[in-house]
Amino acid sequence: MAERLKPVDVVTVGVGMTGAIMGKELAAAGLKVVGIERGPMRDTVPDFQSPTIHDELRFAIRKALMQDNVKEAVTCRNSADQTALPMRRWAGYLPGTGLGGSLVHWNGQTYRFQPADFIYRTHLEQRYGKSFVDPELTIQDWGVTYDELETHYDRFEYLCGTSGKAGNIKGKIQPGGNPLEGFRSRDYPTQPMKEPYYGALFRKGAQSLGYHPFPQPASTLSQPYTNPEGLKLQQCVFCGYCERFACEHYAKASPQTIVLPVALKNPNYELRTNCQVLRVNLDSTGKKATGITYADAAGREYEQPAEMVLITAYALNNVRLLLNSGIGRTYDPRTGEGVVGRNYAYQTVSSVTVFYDEDVNINPFMASGASGTVIDDFSVDNFDHGPHKFIGGAYIGAIMTNGRPIEFHPTPPGTPAWGLGWKQAVARHYNHTVALTVHGSSHPARGNHLDLDPTYKDAWGLPLLRVTFEFPDNDIRMSSYVTDKAAEIGRAMGGKTVAAAPRKRPYTTTVYQTTHNTGGAIMGGDPKTSVVNRYLQCWDVPNVFVVGASAYPHNSSYNPTNTLGALTYWALDAIKNRYLKSPGPLVQA
Amino acid sequence: MTRINRANAAVAMGCLALLCLAGPAPVAAQDKQRPAEVDRGAVIAAQGAAGVPACAQCHAFSGGSDGSGAFPRIAGQSAYYLEKQMRDFASSVRANAIMTPIAKALPPNDTTDVAAFYAGNSGQFLPLAAADAALVEKGRQLARVGDAAKNIQACNNCHGPDGAGIPPAIPYLAGQYAQYIAFELQMWKRGHRKSSPDSMALVAKQLDDQQIAAVAAYYQQVRGAASAAASTR
Repeated sequence: MAERLKPVDVVTVGVGMTGAIMGKELAAAGLKVVGIERGPMRDTVPDFQSPTIHDELRFAIRKALMQDNVKEAVTCRNSADQTALPMRRWAGYLPGTGLGGSLVHWNGQTYRFQPADFIYRTHLEQRYGKSFVDPELTIQDWGVTYDELETHYDRFEYLCGTSGKAGNIKGKIQPGGNPLEGFRSRDYPTQPMKEPYYGALFRKGAQSLGYHPFPQPASTLSQPYTNPEGLKLQQCVFCGYCERFACEHYAKASPQTIVLPVALKNPNYELRTNCQVLRVNLDSTGKKATGITYADAAGREYEQPAEMVLITAYALNNVRLLLNSGIGRTYDPRTGEGVVGRNYAYQTVSSVTVFYDEDVNINPFMASGASGTVIDDFSVDNFDHGPHKFIGGAYIGAIMTNGRPIEFHPTPPGTPAWGLGWKQAVARHYNHTVALTVHGSSHPARGNHLDLDPTYKDAWGLPLLRVTFEFPDNDIRMSSYVTDKAAEIGRAMGGKTVAAAPRKRPYTTTVYQTTHNTGGAIMGGDPKTSVVNRYLQCWDVPNVFVVGASAYPHNSSYNPTNTLGALTYWALDAIKNRYLKSPGPLVQA
Repeated sequence: MTRINRANAAVAMGCLALLCLAGPAPVAAQDKQRPAEVDRGAVIAAQGAAGVPACAQCHAFSGGSDGSGAFPRIAGQSAYYLEKQMRDFASSVRANAIMTPIAKALPPNDTTDVAAFYAGNSGQFLPLAAADAALVEKGRQLARVGDAAKNIQACNNCHGPDGAGIPPAIPYLAGQYAQYIAFELQMWKRGHRKSSPDSMALVAKQLDDQQIAAVAAYYQQVRGAASAAASTR
């Protein structure tokens, strides 16, 4: 029997980026907040220090910072006629665990989505007509607009200290920035990172073809910075150990460096680590949450009553908690009815590798997770899709994050996969290769969804989340087109050999692509097609908010973190300014 | 090729193992003139040049300097780093009553040669009195782990395992004189030393006097006659 604890005002399920921001702000507003984190306590000092943190085998290969899939895995299949099997080792994507969540091991790439993303269906139907979008795709408007989110994007970027160059300040195009971006109210808080050599090669190549290169926006900082919370960040030293690692230099925006220390100083805020939330508890009507139940590291169960429950875990785990708590109706791909698990999307990533002569030295190990140069000319709807049979697009960039010895082995086509020939090719090409990333949008399709696995359970006896996913035809066509464009840039960069690898079916979880899982608890204007309203509040249980990339109706051409930061502040404003004054639904269904 | 290495050298402080793959990064600063002549450098170290006293007068011919700690150990520091310090002295980014006139007077070729000489010199370690064990331990903590309360990261993150250095850009601290380390940290802290404003100055301003003494005492005993004697015991 679970021990019942003293009631509090707010509980956050997970203390990653969204949980930390919500917890800090609501504690500052005078509420008693408890943050429940399944993983361990950890901080820059002492946990992330060198040389330990540069252990590539431990962190990059054995994935020491990720969700423990011995205890809690995800099952996967490509279609409903297959039996899903659990991922015993993370490969395709890397959900983090522990205090700070995935924002501890992220790369720091900090893009905004475009204005068109938030009114996606409306925009595409206006521009291309009602029958243009493949009926298989269940895209829809988000219920919030870019203009509404702009100040929240700005706030999150200033929290992180993001380094970049604005391309559009209040409608005025700025030289050196991205001229195709949505408007910004002001420039980035810090100047762009220094351009690595691979970025300079890309810039020249892209410019020669008439494109618009700009420095990748980076939350691995170009200079020391004090954020609005009074926390000091330091300058990135281009060590090449960002993604899959934690930053020892206080140079990467993570909850530990941008917001958590403020929360932890507030007596209204309490952090409980190594506590696994099992379910959200509902009252007899099913329309009000009474709190949560969790198990501590010793397996003892506790009930934590709370006035508000904020589900702030990783996107996939947000959806799983809803399903395991019986909140919302599960999506059924056969009928198209139900909402929880609907509009799961991923990211359609492909690559082009540019091999140079030996007199071009790239020094790929001098990198940050978010350094480099990109173009936005083929993102979202920045080009005319009329002649093409697809929607969406991709940014293209030379954004190499590292040259780490175990993982970085570029070899041109035709190289043997092992043995002496392979070794010679790696030695020949290691320092003379630029990898281009084609970071493409992912559209929800009727058959792609999340639900509970009928067979496999976690260490606490609860069903695992089952992911059913295959790349939609639309996204395969998009990847083919944009990857060709990236290959043209590769040739313009002076590459001796240019190898394009557009995304192909089948989707496999055994090769890393990206950790950008989105959807499953999406936002929108209609409870029939969304789990949460435009303020991320559950339609069915108004004292539950689901704050995560699980809210995205589709995934855009960009890395999702910045938009999640903006949505977090957007929801927070609604909670602080409206919900707390009068608890109840913020939008009438 | 050299141009690329040089541009990156200012930025990068990657991992030691990876830098080995980078090829000739340590000579990157020499593209402006001619290759370094180590033998000429040795002569300058021993005898000085026109208007410039012999380096060995203070730094010893071995580069190990004397035991006072008033002059840093320079043996085995990278040529890139030593040349950069000379440029900083000449431009008064590092203002120093002794070194600034010397750096200004020494022609660039001579600086290159003498930097190469000392970079290739292993030097000798003088026997030094052991510091207070508690102070050394406090320094070890700062060097290896940092200070969570002040958001100071471990010194070793940049200066390498136990201060071994990450050449060419980052100097070793292991075996450096405590007196010198403490003095330079104070120079940064008080704003007199203007090199590395975005890293070392910020760190030094966070350190209190006891922490400065501790980290200096720690690095002095990491390598040298005392620690060698201790390890054979």
